[in-house]
Amino acid sequence: MPRPSFDASVLGPSTRVTGRVTGDGALRVEGKVRGDIQISGEAEIAPSGSVEGNVTAASLDISGTLQGDVVASGPVAIRSGAVVRGDLRGSEISIEPGSRVSVRLATDFELDLGPVDAKRR
Amino acid sequence: MSQSSVIGAGTVVHGNLQGEGSLEVFGRVEGDVTMTGEVVVGEGGAVRGDISASKISVSGSVQGNLSGSEGVLLERGAKVVGDISAPRVGIGSGALIRGHVRTEGEAALGQAKRTPGPGVKPATFAAKPVAKVEPKAAPPLREAVAAPREAVAAPVIAERPKEKPPERRPPPPVLPSLGKGAKGKKKKDRDE
Amino acid sequence: MAGTVIGEGLSVEGDITSDEEVVVQGNLRGKLTSSDAVSIGPSSVVQADIAGQSVSIAGQVTGDISAPERVDIQAGGRLVGDVKAARFTIADGASFKGAVDMEV
Repeated sequence: MPRPSFDASVLGPSTRVTGRVTGDGALRVEGKVRGDIQISGEAEIAPSGSVEGNVTAASLDISGTLQGDVVASGPVAIRSGAVVRGDLRGSEISIEPGSRVSVRLATDFELDLGPVDAKRR
Repeated sequence: MSQSSVIGAGTVVHGNLQGEGSLEVFGRVEGDVTMTGEVVVGEGGAVRGDISASKISVSGSVQGNLSGSEGVLLERGAKVVGDISAPRVGIGSGALIRGHVRTEGEAALGQAKRTPGPGVKPATFAAKPVAKVEPKAAPPLREAVAAPREAVAAPVIAERPKEKPPERRPPPPVLPSLGKGAKGKKKKDRDE
Repeated sequence: MAGTVIGEGLSVEGDITSDEEVVVQGNLRGKLTSSDAVSIGPSSVVQADIAGQSVSIAGQVTGDISAPERVDIQAGGRLVGDVKAARFTIADGASFKGAVDMEV
């Protein structure tokens, strides 16, 4: 789990933000955000955290609840215990068993099963 | 009694596979796979069709939906285009997937638990044109017979009532539906 | 240590409520309410009404401030808005414009 850099923000467990959070740096959500998050750094939703809105970040680590779409330039990790619903896009997506998800993954890659004959050798 | 089947790396199967027990695919399957046990699509294995089983593990490629009554696991190297539905889903880092992933409700449960009877499963799948076996697919099947493990593939490959690929091995013990007239024809062959 | 920190690079547009200490080093436009201490850092630009147990301002704030305990404007801090608090200090080098109500 990435530790927040020194320029990291934390929304504590009893904190509720209704509105947009944007900017530079990393963010750890232990409370509740209703609104979009758009940051250049790493985002983390702690087990107690909940986000209702879209998240755009360098990476996203979810142990809490997320309802919204995700666009990450880096990895998106859904941990056991997380509850996630939305469209996810990231360089890499991992989903741990024990999470509850209903997500659409739009990872960009080519699926080439190859010509049928190629398998016969 | 569970059986274990393997589609070896040099094998191509055109048509749907269904049966009891588990299945490992290292070759190529063009069709749906329905097993009561575990299905493993190994590295280098490829399936173009839906897979339905108790547990599904993928390190190869799948173009189709994955439905595991117990769980689905995608490991590094896996490439999946299709939807995943299971109570437990694991997608490891390095696995690529494009589609919906659902762990709640919806068709994740019980799909593969039923013994595939003659009439049950085929109804679920639309008739697949690729179920026709082309002549060139025949040799790989015979190769499959040669290797002792792969001989077990016979009971796994079930025929669908409508399509009877000419090159197929003799029908498995569980016969697909016999038409009205067929009874009359079979009388001669039966020793019972 | 504060429970909630809005870091220097961050901007929040909306309402924040909390039961913890809140430290704002970034920007805020909206409303901030905490039942604990609130501190606005020197790099902050805030356009919001702020309510806290105590409020300390070292950055730029436009909005009304209310704190049952105290409000302090630090050197370099700037507040345009009304203040309602039991105690109120304006440090040398701070700026302030607004009405003050120190109801006892």
